[in-house]
Amino acid sequence: MSTQNLEQKLKTYRLSDEEYKLMTGLLGREPQTVEWALFSALWSEHCSYKSSKIHLRKFSFRNEKTPEMDGENAGVVDLGFGERIAFKMESHNHPSFIEPVQGAATGVGGILRDIFTMGARPMMSANYLCFGEAEAPRMKELMRGVVKGISSYGNCVGVPTVTGQTNIHSKYNKNILVNALNVGYFGPGQKMALSNASGPGNLVVYVGAKTGRDGVHGASMASESFDENSEAKRPNVQIGDPFFEKLLIEACLEVLEKDYVVAMQDMGAAGLTSSSFEMASKGQVGLVIDLKKVPLRDSSMTAEDILLSESQERMLLVCAPKNFEPLQKTFKKWGLDAAILGEVQKNRKVKLMWGVEILTDMDPDLIVEKAPRYERPFNKWDFPRRTDRLTTPSNFNAKSWIDKALNNFKLNQFHWIHNQYDQRVGARTAAACDSAVAFARLDHSGRGLGLVVGCRPEVMMMDAEIGALDAVYYPAFQLAIKGAEALAVTDCLNYGNPQKLELMSEFVASVDAIAKASREINAPVISGNVSFYNETLGENIISTPATGLVGLRESVEDIIPDQFGSAFQSLVLVQMNWVESWVHVMAADEKISLFKQNVTCDVPQFIKRCAQMDQEFQKQNNFVTSIKAVGLGGIATTCLKMTTDLVGFDLSFDQVNTKSEDLFKDTFYGFILATEDLDTALDFLKKHFKGLAVDIKKIGETTDQKICLTKDAELDFKDFRNRFMKGL
Amino acid sequence: MSLKVGITRFLGTNCDEDVRKWVLSKSATATYLWYEDQFNVKDYDMVIIPGGFSYGDYLRCGALAAQTPVMKSVKEFAQKEKPILGICNGFQILCESGLLPGALLANSEQRFKDQWVELEVKQNKNPFAKQTSNGQVLKLPIAHGMGNYYADSETLKKLSDQNQIWLTYKDNPNGALLNIAGITNEKHNICGLMPHPERANAPWMGSSDGAFFL
Repeated sequence: MSTQNLEQKLKTYRLSDEEYKLMTGLLGREPQTVEWALFSALWSEHCSYKSSKIHLRKFSFRNEKTPEMDGENAGVVDLGFGERIAFKMESHNHPSFIEPVQGAATGVGGILRDIFTMGARPMMSANYLCFGEAEAPRMKELMRGVVKGISSYGNCVGVPTVTGQTNIHSKYNKNILVNALNVGYFGPGQKMALSNASGPGNLVVYVGAKTGRDGVHGASMASESFDENSEAKRPNVQIGDPFFEKLLIEACLEVLEKDYVVAMQDMGAAGLTSSSFEMASKGQVGLVIDLKKVPLRDSSMTAEDILLSESQERMLLVCAPKNFEPLQKTFKKWGLDAAILGEVQKNRKVKLMWGVEILTDMDPDLIVEKAPRYERPFNKWDFPRRTDRLTTPSNFNAKSWIDKALNNFKLNQFHWIHNQYDQRVGARTAAACDSAVAFARLDHSGRGLGLVVGCRPEVMMMDAEIGALDAVYYPAFQLAIKGAEALAVTDCLNYGNPQKLELMSEFVASVDAIAKASREINAPVISGNVSFYNETLGENIISTPATGLVGLRESVEDIIPDQFGSAFQSLVLVQMNWVESWVHVMAADEKISLFKQNVTCDVPQFIKRCAQMDQEFQKQNNFVTSIKAVGLGGIATTCLKMTTDLVGFDLSFDQVNTKSEDLFKDTFYGFILATEDLDTALDFLKKHFKGLAVDIKKIGETTDQKICLTKDAELDFKDFRNRFMKGL
Repeated sequence: MSLKVGITRFLGTNCDEDVRKWVLSKSATATYLWYEDQFNVKDYDMVIIPGGFSYGDYLRCGALAAQTPVMKSVKEFAQKEKPILGICNGFQILCESGLLPGALLANSEQRFKDQWVELEVKQNKNPFAKQTSNGQVLKLPIAHGMGNYYADSETLKKLSDQNQIWLTYKDNPNGALLNIAGITNEKHNICGLMPHPERANAPWMGSSDGAFFL
């Protein structure tokens, strides 16, 4: 091949010189036509995790509730009583920025398939969204589009969307983040399906939607930064059909229950290529597949198009020949096709045919197991913004600060987003988007499964290590104060360009921190994904390791709400002073805050103690009527978020000597509770937290439609509520 | 003898299991009625058409489901004046089948809407309202994109005159005419509503008012 030809090829297939050398070395020859496309897809960052794999090994910690799943589609948690769940979070950032409705919709569809391909029935969905400022180009359209995509897909499939987080920051003006999470349920006796192909002579069967041109080269697109021409990538975005997905869920779960299936894998990123090579590699077997047998929407598609198409709602499965007929019958009942593409063979090679022509015949490990691994350079984390003396923000005015936060949607209930999601289909939902933590009732045992997403970009901007610890601690703390102990973590690591030293340093610092925090709270990181290259024209996003945590509560009865119940109750603050800063106030002015850290604080112990509190409340006649973790923006912002159309609050009597900026100070971690019985509450809390360095004090009272922060800062109640609830 | 309830299942129905759990909680028996099959009307005391997105709502909501074999049996069941309840997409299917008058249009805000609503019981003569009284206020959740009840003025007048308006919204969430959330036929055996009683069957769900319907 001439040098010029080679350069062109490498550019088209997004492979580097070294990767070309590695590829020819492994093959012992020049790659043939279709092999270029195979290596391009499976060695993309998106499929191979080549820049992150070395660091992801730090998540190897497991406990008795979390079995080793060895590269399966999602992590599994054993809940006891014969109940298990599978859960995972995944990014769909690049497609959503190009085409928000379809990008977000197929993000939901993709994560659902990761769950039901294992044989679990999807039971609750969540999302983690980061948008730029509302005034940035296309941003309102992107926000509306993403929400529409998530709601139209999730609602139709019939899986409730029960929680989510929406962040707004200018650093996402050119790269938005759309992360989707799903939890699936296995009841007692329900079998788990695996993805390793086995049994020479067994059939390789294609089920679901026909293959079209949508999403061809999607995986490599998602592994690149954006430039001025990103708009032109629209045809690389997949199109989703939730009705088809619903049928696919029912048909797949039915054939698994009837035991017709040996192995199953969804066709996600890099479509048929990744599913076939990974099933063969995992099962240590070979496959023969005739691409001419793939059901097509467009008969002019080439072998390469077919291999790389990311058309949605498709699965690849392996079944014994005798089970094919009943399997096909089940799919037909649900209005779906099943087509035999080939069979499993002993010879450990994947042989792709185009009729009688052999396109490739290679060991799947060459492309799966032997993919390149990069140890990208990084620096040890040294807390660049840690300080001993924290300075207060100057010229702070509470009323004008709130006014600005309401205007730019940073202080918003996001009710307009949540009420487009069906939050109750399934009839299991006990707490949904109105609450910081969602709860669903487990069918068999009746216990409550808590779900919450985490990572606060502003804290990540302040410090990557603190921010990543916080991405585990804070959601675990939120679960704890609702009476649930965190069991496991999934994460979606959204970063910029890993070839930039400072960003790779943030990545490594945060992976270490997540691993550390998850060990401390005994909640292993059991699944997740990495999304690098969230970069446009050299501008990178805030490093954003989004997390999802599940926790278990003994029942779904008497979950204490976030919002105030009635006026004239006492507000009590319980707080540990691990990290102090004004990160939220500073971020509103696009400034990065310094912070003070008290390394002697035992955060995991505090979280544990909080989780034991809820049962005591129930025993003592529920003297607590509402409870909420103090979020960013301090006790002022948290109390504002606890208001309802009928109940406000007054902090001015108890905070006579407190300056208004201190009400907005961020201190990790604390919670506010409302009670009708202040003495009982204080007595109980002092006893319960004995021996831990926490402050416990009354900070104010709930009121009848009045909001008063300090003597000089009273808000117009109706105006605040209207703007807080305002939608887009 | 316990009540025998048939629950229809179309491609895309997604509240079937929820309705089954609701029926079972009332010590009744629940049997799924597959869309391609007709059933013997003598085998059931009651039929419920659950909500969801039959056929993805790609044509008008409920239009394709209305043309299926199982609906032939449902029509026969209706003629025998046996009780039929359509919830959400089930209400849409009953309208598309001509078993209930009117139609359900896109919400006035042109968006899907999930929220709790307060409903007023306008008549308690139908089989699903026996445990409620006129004027009673019920709390149930809605979750729909097309719940805006529409009928011509003549039909609306007839509905009012013949006591066919069953439930109305206290605070109209979707633009429905006369705040209609649920109606019945003239004989009061066929009933349809947009809110989901099966999702409000216990205090932990947010309300247990749905328990009054069965």
